[in-house]
Amino acid sequence: MNVFVTHIRVVCALLVREMEARFGSKPGGYVWALLDPAAHVALMTLLFQAITHTPALGTSFPLFFATGYIGFQFYQAMTSYLNGSVKANRSLLSYPNVAPIDTITARSLLQLMTTVLVACIVLGVIIASLRTPPSLHWPAILEAVLVASILGIGTGMINNVMFVKYPLYEQLFTIINRPLFLLSGVFFLPDSLPLPYRDIVLLNPLIHVTMLFRTGFYEGYRAIGLDTAYLHSFAFLTLFTGMVLFTFSSSLLRNE
Amino acid sequence: MIRLDQATKFARTKGIKKPIINDASLTLQRGKSIGLLGRNGAGKSTLLRLIAGTIRLDSGRIIREGKVSWPLGFQGSFQGSMTGEQNVRFVARIYGVDTSTLVDYVADFAELGAFFRAPVNTYSSGMKARLAFGLSMGVNFDYYLVDEITAVGDTNFKKKCQAVFNTRLQESDVIMVSHSTGTIREYCDSGIVLENGKLIYYDDVEEAIKAHDNNMKER
Repeated sequence: MNVFVTHIRVVCALLVREMEARFGSKPGGYVWALLDPAAHVALMTLLFQAITHTPALGTSFPLFFATGYIGFQFYQAMTSYLNGSVKANRSLLSYPNVAPIDTITARSLLQLMTTVLVACIVLGVIIASLRTPPSLHWPAILEAVLVASILGIGTGMINNVMFVKYPLYEQLFTIINRPLFLLSGVFFLPDSLPLPYRDIVLLNPLIHVTMLFRTGFYEGYRAIGLDTAYLHSFAFLTLFTGMVLFTFSSSLLRNE
Repeated sequence: MIRLDQATKFARTKGIKKPIINDASLTLQRGKSIGLLGRNGAGKSTLLRLIAGTIRLDSGRIIREGKVSWPLGFQGSFQGSMTGEQNVRFVARIYGVDTSTLVDYVADFAELGAFFRAPVNTYSSGMKARLAFGLSMGVNFDYYLVDEITAVGDTNFKKKCQAVFNTRLQESDVIMVSHSTGTIREYCDSGIVLENGKLIYYDDVEEAIKAHDNNMKER
């Protein structure tokens, strides 16, 4: 019980510290967190409007790209922020009641809150500007957010250990992670791909995230090939691996 | 009370495995301030971190009754990118102490002026030590783990430390690492000598210092 209270106290203290570091130290603060997805969506809209007349789904380019990009961000922003959590708080780990896992908890909470806020504002503005606003299917949206975050947290935990243990892995991860943006269905639908390629693309769990997220916004979208069981098992397996690795590497993470 | 029960810890670097403490059992009673003596590299600082709980034993266990501080080093446990004030607030939060009281206390003690609101990166080592010492004295612990901290700073700072420390020591105990036998004599009434992975406790600090000096003469 006492240990639990300490963890909560430490996580709260770390939350304040991370917010100060992330949003308090540069001018603009929170605005940058909003500007990044807004700029991405605007850029993709401009680009694709020049190439085609209608998006792959519905009639609004901004809504199509925003649903893809933000769904993807629940994973991507999470891992990239979590990757450095232990390293960035190393000196604070010399307080005996600060555990490496607290830094992960604090950063995941902060990132989840940030992305949710950004999603509400960006998607809210886009939906409000539409002539016929879509009817939202909340269970699908919340499920996608949750699973993508779990996948992000699991990957982040694995990376915190592996980046220290095998510097080469960090290079490999960056190489694999970068094209994920292109392969995760942010600006295309896997449904429209020819068969052998579609099956290959569907191996990427993140494409299921964007598909699931979009089914919450597009009533008529059937999302052929969406396999939530595959997505769930992948996400939970990643989280489990991350937790096991993290637990058995506590001395490494404390920099003994 | 702090009790070591068959505690074993190895230091590992590049395939070399050297015991820091080997199967040590020891009970430190409340009301005794203890000086920790040993040659360079014997593992005094590691032992302090083990007692604090920031690193773990390889086998055995350490039982702590009472509130034990973090190891007070002259470098401090500060996050360099945070300001002195932010670091103090952080400690207040993790130990559940009133934030503004602690901030006021430390600001007054450390006398950093405008630097209190500047990142710790910009501090000199003397400033860091003042902040570290003030911060730890602002939180009430039963045991203070001190690692050479009083060696830093000018005479005024040392005097101030001594005054605060002496009032604290009426209710709390200290476990202190120092190469200066003068400092050890001043604050401690018993001693532990750490040599070749063995911990030997001396009820009288003078005996501990003597044993330590003999060890130093041997090699």
